[in-house]
Amino acid sequence: MGEHAATGLEKWLLDKTGKDIYFWNFQVLMFFTLFEVAAVFFTEIPGTSIAITRFMVWGILIVVGIIKGYGIAAYFMHLRGDPRIYTRTALFPVLFVLLMLWGIGLSNPEAITELPSWCTPDWDYATKR
Amino acid sequence: MSGFNNHVDNSVWGRAVLMAGAILTIGIVAFAALGLGVGSVKHDTYDDAKSVYYDAMDDPTVSEEELAHLHHEEIDAHLSYLTYWVAGLTILIISVIYAIFLGIGGFINSIQPQDDHGHDDGHDDHHDEHHGSASPIIFCIGVLLFLMGFPDFVEALRALMSQGGTFVFGDLVLSTIGLAIIMVGVANWWREDLPFIGHGEQIATSAPFEGEHIRKAGIWVFIMSEVMVFATFFSSYLRIRTEWCTKWAFDDGKCSVGATEGDIVLTASDYLRPDGAAGTGDFWTMLPGAVNTFALIISSYTIVLALKTAKAKDWEAPKGVLRFLLPDKKTAVRNYLIATLLLGSMFIVLKLVEWSHLVAEGFTVGTVQGSIFYVATGAHGLHVFVGLLIMLYLVFKADTVGYDEDNGQGIEYFGLYWHFVDLAWVVIFPAFYLY
Repeated sequence: MGEHAATGLEKWLLDKTGKDIYFWNFQVLMFFTLFEVAAVFFTEIPGTSIAITRFMVWGILIVVGIIKGYGIAAYFMHLRGDPRIYTRTALFPVLFVLLMLWGIGLSNPEAITELPSWCTPDWDYATKR
Repeated sequence: MSGFNNHVDNSVWGRAVLMAGAILTIGIVAFAALGLGVGSVKHDTYDDAKSVYYDAMDDPTVSEEELAHLHHEEIDAHLSYLTYWVAGLTILIISVIYAIFLGIGGFINSIQPQDDHGHDDGHDDHHDEHHGSASPIIFCIGVLLFLMGFPDFVEALRALMSQGGTFVFGDLVLSTIGLAIIMVGVANWWREDLPFIGHGEQIATSAPFEGEHIRKAGIWVFIMSEVMVFATFFSSYLRIRTEWCTKWAFDDGKCSVGATEGDIVLTASDYLRPDGAAGTGDFWTMLPGAVNTFALIISSYTIVLALKTAKAKDWEAPKGVLRFLLPDKKTAVRNYLIATLLLGSMFIVLKLVEWSHLVAEGFTVGTVQGSIFYVATGAHGLHVFVGLLIMLYLVFKADTVGYDEDNGQGIEYFGLYWHFVDLAWVVIFPAFYLY
């Protein structure tokens, strides 16, 4: 959200359509929000008999969340055009978020048997030593 | 704020008091129309549906199916009444808070002695040296006192509203002093900012933000801390949820051996989604959350448009109908900000309507799943509401001094916070409403 000269995709969109990147970003955000809500409203893909499963809903919600998050942060908050220090500031807490997610996994009752070995500590450390 | 300021006459603050009066009037009219007008009609309908249902319960000739149908009609009538009553009441309450905030802030400043240069420190302001401000410290002391007295404050209010407990006047004192100090801090902050025309923005002189505006770096560090706050809510929710036997987990055979359908834990999304396990969800229960999602995205765009318009050097009024809404640059910036304010206010109203429905359906804060839902979405709603209070001042400044290419960064820095609130909803909405 700052004043930067349009370059690359932003300039191309402005030249071709006469509308700036904020306008197109807004359109994309609206479209994906509609898609996100529709994924939950429908139990089958419209026009087919293919059921929308739990994992399909998860996939849609995660992918759409990433796209919307990128659109808001990169263009509306203008991290894409601002100095990198702002992006680094914004991403700094991600380190702690990942640690928390790891903690969630480890404290899950199924952590010992269900999680892949690469994300669990060496449970056998004490006996192997 | 920084130097090189506009001269702002004290009489301008009288406009804030007038705006407060206008907002209060709108709130009272909306409450009278929605809460008292339509609400009382809906309440009569609800009373009728309830008595029909209760009569049917005592009537042995009524079949089970018919009884279920009457019960369903009674619930619909109750929810319909709640929609109008809660919407009207919420509009009234937020209007009163807006009016108090803007009115008192404006009044405090209007009775101050007139400044010669936008400051009363006797300095020549036509230089770029920062004078410092005590306002944030005053504000923080006010918040500290308010929160220290908050538990007693709530108890006293509950007693005043005959919701239990004994009213003790002293319970109100600490938080009220805190609120008064907050208002003084905010009013002083406004007074320092209003004359600011953008020259002499403070620049960081050392790494890692060297050469950047200090206010912008500050807002990003603040946002960083906010990410942590919401990450805490989110990770708590995920951790707790892994142990719940939800409908999805039950269908996948992930619940403990011997678990029956009676062991299924109902989450908020089970009440809201059309195919949710509570069986109460349909298009209309999902609608407030979905509309709110769109409202926040549109409000993010309107604030971008406000900034873009303020920063434009060669702005032209649009053609057609929009010309009436955006006749000149100053009015356009103000109206985009008003649109943002209205969308944010609608978010709060719809959220409380939705909460009232959930509570009526039995999804209360007394359960673990209710607690994490109301705390997380409530914390987000609180952030929206605080943003709206700040936006009131932006609207006031846009209406009086105005924003242009020099001082438009005020909108930009607030916009960063507002976009963050939108970003947090991008995570909260699917996690709590759809999953």
